[in-house]
Amino acid sequence: MSHEPQIVGFLCNWCSYAGADLAGTSRIPYPPNIRVIRVMCSARIEPEFVVEALARGADGVLVCGCHPGDCHYSEGNYKAMRRFPLLKQVLEAYGVENERVRLEWVSASEGQRFAEIVAEMTERLRALGPSRVKAALQADMLER
Amino acid sequence: MAEPKIGVFICSCGTNISHVVDTEAVREQALVLPGVETARTYRYMCSNPGQEMIGAAVREHGLDRVVVAACSPRMHERTFRGACRAAGLNPYLFEMANIREQCSWVHADRPAATLKATALTRAAVFRVARNEPLDGLTAEMCPTTLVLGGGIAGLTAALELAEGGYPVVLVERSDRLGGNLARVDLTAPYLDSARDLLTERITRVRRHHNITVMLHSQLKALSGFVGNFTATVQTADGEAPRTIAFRLGNVVVATGYREFDASRITHYGWGKLPNVVTSFEFERMLRSGRIETKDGRPPRYAAIIHCVGSRSREFHGYCSRVCCMTALKYAQEIKSAVPDCYVSDLYIDMHAFGKGCEDFYKRGSEAKTLFLMYGKNEHPVIRRAPPGDDCEMLIEVDEQLSGERIEIPADLVVLMVGMEAREDSAEVAHLVNISQDKDGWFIESHPKLDPVATTTEGIYIAGTCAAPKDIPDTVAQARAAAGRILARIARGRIEIDGVFAEVHEERCSGCRICNELCPYSAIEFDSEKRRSHVIAAACKACGACAAACPSGAVKARHFTSEQVLAQVEGLLS
Repeated sequence: MSHEPQIVGFLCNWCSYAGADLAGTSRIPYPPNIRVIRVMCSARIEPEFVVEALARGADGVLVCGCHPGDCHYSEGNYKAMRRFPLLKQVLEAYGVENERVRLEWVSASEGQRFAEIVAEMTERLRALGPSRVKAALQADMLER
Repeated sequence: MAEPKIGVFICSCGTNISHVVDTEAVREQALVLPGVETARTYRYMCSNPGQEMIGAAVREHGLDRVVVAACSPRMHERTFRGACRAAGLNPYLFEMANIREQCSWVHADRPAATLKATALTRAAVFRVARNEPLDGLTAEMCPTTLVLGGGIAGLTAALELAEGGYPVVLVERSDRLGGNLARVDLTAPYLDSARDLLTERITRVRRHHNITVMLHSQLKALSGFVGNFTATVQTADGEAPRTIAFRLGNVVVATGYREFDASRITHYGWGKLPNVVTSFEFERMLRSGRIETKDGRPPRYAAIIHCVGSRSREFHGYCSRVCCMTALKYAQEIKSAVPDCYVSDLYIDMHAFGKGCEDFYKRGSEAKTLFLMYGKNEHPVIRRAPPGDDCEMLIEVDEQLSGERIEIPADLVVLMVGMEAREDSAEVAHLVNISQDKDGWFIESHPKLDPVATTTEGIYIAGTCAAPKDIPDTVAQARAAAGRILARIARGRIEIDGVFAEVHEERCSGCRICNELCPYSAIEFDSEKRRSHVIAAACKACGACAAACPSGAVKARHFTSEQVLAQVEGLLS
């Protein structure tokens, strides 16, 4: 059996979580590999949340916020956008492949888009195989 | 901390959840989680018996925390928080697991969906164990309402609020009141005059001591929060253009629609063929009392084409709702003004859903109109008739009922242009902080249960800015929005959610990073103490400050790191 990746999603309440709900109300199917945590804004997402998810065995982390210019809090998504490249640099140093952590914009009307992103990410992570960083990250976190 | 006592309640939602998720398995898995005292399944947890079941379990087991695994928290979080409050629990000692919208409705594989529902429930249990009881705040409610738009929706809302005894500022972008309805002659299906409907309202609005009308005016900025907004309006009403600011408690957005630009469908020839007119141009003819071609003759052949810009793959997928009945009205009016005229009506489906509309359709069908059905995503083609024909244009249509390609003559063609979101709708949405759907219409808080509220407290929507609708529906929404606002004003003060940020003074280094980050300027710096502190009423709980604080001094209440990390742990263990 092929590897079934586990994805943790951090979705902002106003756009992306509503978009994921819309995929549900519109009955647009996507793989069950994603499990979502709701935050009020993508700007709330601390790098630690992402690292913790990977350390606890997630094969991928998907962060979703409102499209640029559409943030419920006017510019929270820009803050997430600026924070993200830094986080990815750090994760790269731990050997976390680029595809494992993604930042995407999903609006409240984009149920279809959310489903497509999850399907595509699941497919890529399946191809990538299980995350090898879990052990490394865990060891490092224990040291601290 | 004493060991929490958690109750887990798993909803089947009829069979909406249980047809994919094995709720019994979710229950068994929940029961063995740390702190869980009881776990139960029920068919409709949101129903009265369901909510009472939660209350009874709280009393029976002495529960101090509750998890409901059911639909989206966007649907019923408020309901279950209410049930917790009724059972004597602080409503924030509650958590929802979304196993419907984000599980049973999108996954078909029963074992995988059950596994996911179990994980989501476990995450909620882990989180709720770390939830803290929170208290909200109360703030003043300014009784003034800002109404954006002076069409039938805005006028109606303004009157309703003013009659309720509270001040209204009505801001209209153009130089007159009445909106799109002022361009209409008679309304379907009862043929009342639009002018009669409007004039009475406009006069009352103009004379009402509680209403300030500002024409030639635009909202430029809106700051603050429900009950305590400040609006900046730029106005050219009166002498010199100026900008004014005033306080208000609530906003009704009633900015309406614009008509579809018929020139976008090139093969209808609007703008090139002189006797192809839009429904609004035809209304102008009706109001002037003369139905005639450009050269002043009564038409011998008139054709009405439905769904111009609506219900098509290429333009708008939605139905504009008012055009079918308006088209029937035109057919009757042409027949009565020019009895010899042959009238054809080219439609896709006839939508006659409103009160009195089916009867109106029946009367229309008897008025010797030739009904021709054309296919969705196909368009009739209009071209000039060759010289010598007794008509000016020919319309070719693949008629669906006969299955034949039919050619009909026309001297006058009326295009039933649909409604679309206004060009300034994105700007308005941004100003008042509400969302738009894929077609640009403003999104309501809930399409069925909360159709005039939005996700921003204190901002209401009414009429066609939310989606195409007819006059009765528009008026009903305007009155509903006004009613909601009146009820809130009547309560005097407003309650503010307990979710906001807090600065732990001892940990704060006074670096002021959070001050700059806050989009609402809700974080002040106390220069004596050299510490930042949050103005709770102004905070909207985005949590940007909490994520950015280098010393971990800012706590995003109800979204603390401990709570989120507990959820992560629950999802992955």
